[in-house]
Amino acid sequence: MMPNTPSLKWNKYFLAGLIMTGLAVLLGLLGFFWTPYSPTAMSAERFSSPTLSHLFGTDNFGRDIFSRVMQGMGTTILISTLVVLISAFIGILLGALTGYFGGIIDELVMRFTDALNGFPSILLALVVISVLGNGRQNLILSLGIVFTPSYVRIVRSEYMRLRDADYIKRARLMGVGRLRILFVHILPNILPVFWVSVMIGLNNAILAESGMSYLGIGVQPPDASLGNMLSDAQGYLQSAPWYALAPGLTIVWIVLGFSLFSEGIRRLGE
Amino acid sequence: MIRIENLSVAFDGPEVVKNVTLELRDGEILGVVGESGCGKSVTALTLMGLVSETARVTSGRILFDDVTLLEAGKPRDKVLYRSYQGDQMSMIFQEPMTSLNPTQRVGRQVDEVLRLHTKLTPDERKEKVLESFQAVGLKEGDKVYSSYPHQLSGGMRQRVMIAMAVILKPRLLVADEPTTALDVTIQNQIIALLREINEKQKNAMLFITHDLNLARKLCHRVAVMKDGCVVEQGETEQIFENPAQDYTRKLIEAVPSRVKKHKALNLATGIDEPVMTSGATNISHRGVLIAENHAVTEAAPLETAKPEAPKSETAQSEAANSEAANSEAAKPEIANSEAMQSASTQPVLTQPASIAPVVQVRDLSVYYQDGSNSLFGRKRRNCVVKGADFALYPGESLGLVGESGCGKTTLSKAMLGMIRDIEGQVVHNTVRPQMIFQDPYSSLNPTKTVGWLLQEPLRARGAIDASLVMSKADMEAAAYDMLHRVGMKDQYFHRKPSQLSGGQRQRVSIAQALITNPGFIIADEPVSALDVTIQAQIMELMQKLQQEMKLAYLFISHDINVVYKMCDRIMVMKDGEIIEIGDTEEIFRDPKEEYTKLLFSNS
Repeated sequence: MMPNTPSLKWNKYFLAGLIMTGLAVLLGLLGFFWTPYSPTAMSAERFSSPTLSHLFGTDNFGRDIFSRVMQGMGTTILISTLVVLISAFIGILLGALTGYFGGIIDELVMRFTDALNGFPSILLALVVISVLGNGRQNLILSLGIVFTPSYVRIVRSEYMRLRDADYIKRARLMGVGRLRILFVHILPNILPVFWVSVMIGLNNAILAESGMSYLGIGVQPPDASLGNMLSDAQGYLQSAPWYALAPGLTIVWIVLGFSLFSEGIRRLGE
Repeated sequence: MIRIENLSVAFDGPEVVKNVTLELRDGEILGVVGESGCGKSVTALTLMGLVSETARVTSGRILFDDVTLLEAGKPRDKVLYRSYQGDQMSMIFQEPMTSLNPTQRVGRQVDEVLRLHTKLTPDERKEKVLESFQAVGLKEGDKVYSSYPHQLSGGMRQRVMIAMAVILKPRLLVADEPTTALDVTIQNQIIALLREINEKQKNAMLFITHDLNLARKLCHRVAVMKDGCVVEQGETEQIFENPAQDYTRKLIEAVPSRVKKHKALNLATGIDEPVMTSGATNISHRGVLIAENHAVTEAAPLETAKPEAPKSETAQSEAANSEAANSEAAKPEIANSEAMQSASTQPVLTQPASIAPVVQVRDLSVYYQDGSNSLFGRKRRNCVVKGADFALYPGESLGLVGESGCGKTTLSKAMLGMIRDIEGQVVHNTVRPQMIFQDPYSSLNPTKTVGWLLQEPLRARGAIDASLVMSKADMEAAAYDMLHRVGMKDQYFHRKPSQLSGGQRQRVSIAQALITNPGFIIADEPVSALDVTIQAQIMELMQKLQQEMKLAYLFISHDINVVYKMCDRIMVMKDGEIIEIGDTEEIFRDPKEEYTKLLFSNS
């Protein structure tokens, strides 16, 4: 009957999320500079099960899976962060303009985002990549485009809600310039909602990047990414289950961490 | 019959209801009055067993006849409560919009009460529902029966709510601010209805309100609550005539009544400032009303044009009325321009031309786009304000009254250029007139500090006109100065709106509107969302600032008493038209239009 106090509640979400996410990000960042073994160095020790010297075991080429997971985690987090940055930035710009001004621009942009939403996102990203060519930058760009519409919608609806708020009406009466109203008066008010959607977007981007790499479109071998590791491991599910478990559980870990983190932020906002 | 003994209720944290003892006999109406947050609603909800699960009863008990409904330390007996809820006790809520299910026809919703509590056949039930509709004054019961809530007006919805609450003739009726969301004329009908039901059904009624006038009209006994405690209770007349507690006296005095106008309220004004007496009236029109023998010398320039204009205008429009066939919209314009002409030719007037109005509205009609906003949506153009025609002079307060939906707010927005679709003319002689809104919680940007908010108008002004650019230090000094003028201390400079009370926020709103010294302010229900004591403080502040800064106010309100207290002249609006305009005293003494009489008699 006695509920926990709200602050304690979000603390738990927030703390768990922070620890999980923090660990993943730290390991990933570290992976760019140092790994226990070289992630691409092959050895004769193929399909070693997890041991003290190879924490997650080794793969079909005798590469250390822990090192590859570290590198893959870094790559995945970096790519999805850039994806979210791009789409969130465009989302804020377009959402602010369409939501605040409405009219014909709004109609055009919204119909265009509707069209983008009409395709499954992975398929759309595939199309963009097949036009632009394979590679990291193009992966980031294509996923960035695919994720933009959701931000436009969220930002737009917030701007539509706030453009008629009394304090914005008053700002207009004072003669505050339009750009200033858009980005100084309104923007800080949508940030709580926006941060949550950024966190959720980050989750989706991680899943999407892994999915693309799994399909062989994203990060190319021999570079490691969680997705292409999974795809490689698929053939050895019976003989070396740890090979698939390591990247798979890592993805679950990161996504769960971000979810808890964003839930914590949301509760903080309340 | 109902006894609440030493009831204390707490959520997480301190008790919000402390040691409340109330007694209610059959057929008696007990009013519980107090300002928002005083615990009156929590008391009622606890009594009804509807308070949220997180509430804990920390002491006391509630008795219905001799059955203990609720006792401290024991969990709420839901089964026991359910046997009382509905047929023994029922409740009417404040918001008729949300207390009916929007997806069901209202007849069915009332019917459900009978279905749950009686064994009548469907036909008998329907008959009974229709009877109850008739009893609460809903005509065309059949039509109402098959209507959805959104098809009914607020007053009708509240009647349906009441029908639902009394259809089983409960012995206890709890009404939580049942008229707060309604217009004044409707309010009175609902009060009359409640009294009638009480007389017929002889049920005990707990009437919760923040409006002391209503409590006085309706209740046999009154309990005054403050900070969770009952500070005083007794017979209504005794409490109002001879309050024993300071707080009660303060509450009663804070209610704007027509008698009070001439007295300075002896409430503490600001949060921090000493009382500002209104002795120094020199430019205000009100100065004339207060002390009429000073009128000739002090307020001559303002006196000249105005009192003449409304008189001849009404005369004119009456003449126009009898002539008929005259276009509605054109009427006031003709009347007013002729009145102005006659005024300017009268030799009595000393300097009519030298007083330029701050704002002159000429035959203004405002249109609203209705219908869908989408690409292919069809648009309808509705005329919301028809042929408004008036002028506002420096230092004057013009009241604009009328029921909700009559076009008051639309007119004011059009005057400020916030609605573009207009015909006619608005001529301003001031720079950037500002507006103060009703809701102090939404009129300040929640992400900014008070200091930032106060400086923003200065920054905006500087961005438009380079000659008005101020240095950072100057702006800060101006902001501090303005903060002091609205009666707030330095420490609030760095606070955010969420850290301020409603009254303080409204002060900041006023400060923000006035910092560029605009000369003309539209105040749209600036005190309606505030508690009575705060209301009085804000009105006093507005009057003080008006004198200091020679402001002209267009004061919009549905509360006739507030308008009476604040305004020199009053405009009455109905269905988009200004049907009457004139001197406050005069219009109160001798309203010309039937509608005006109705409006005034109801408050």
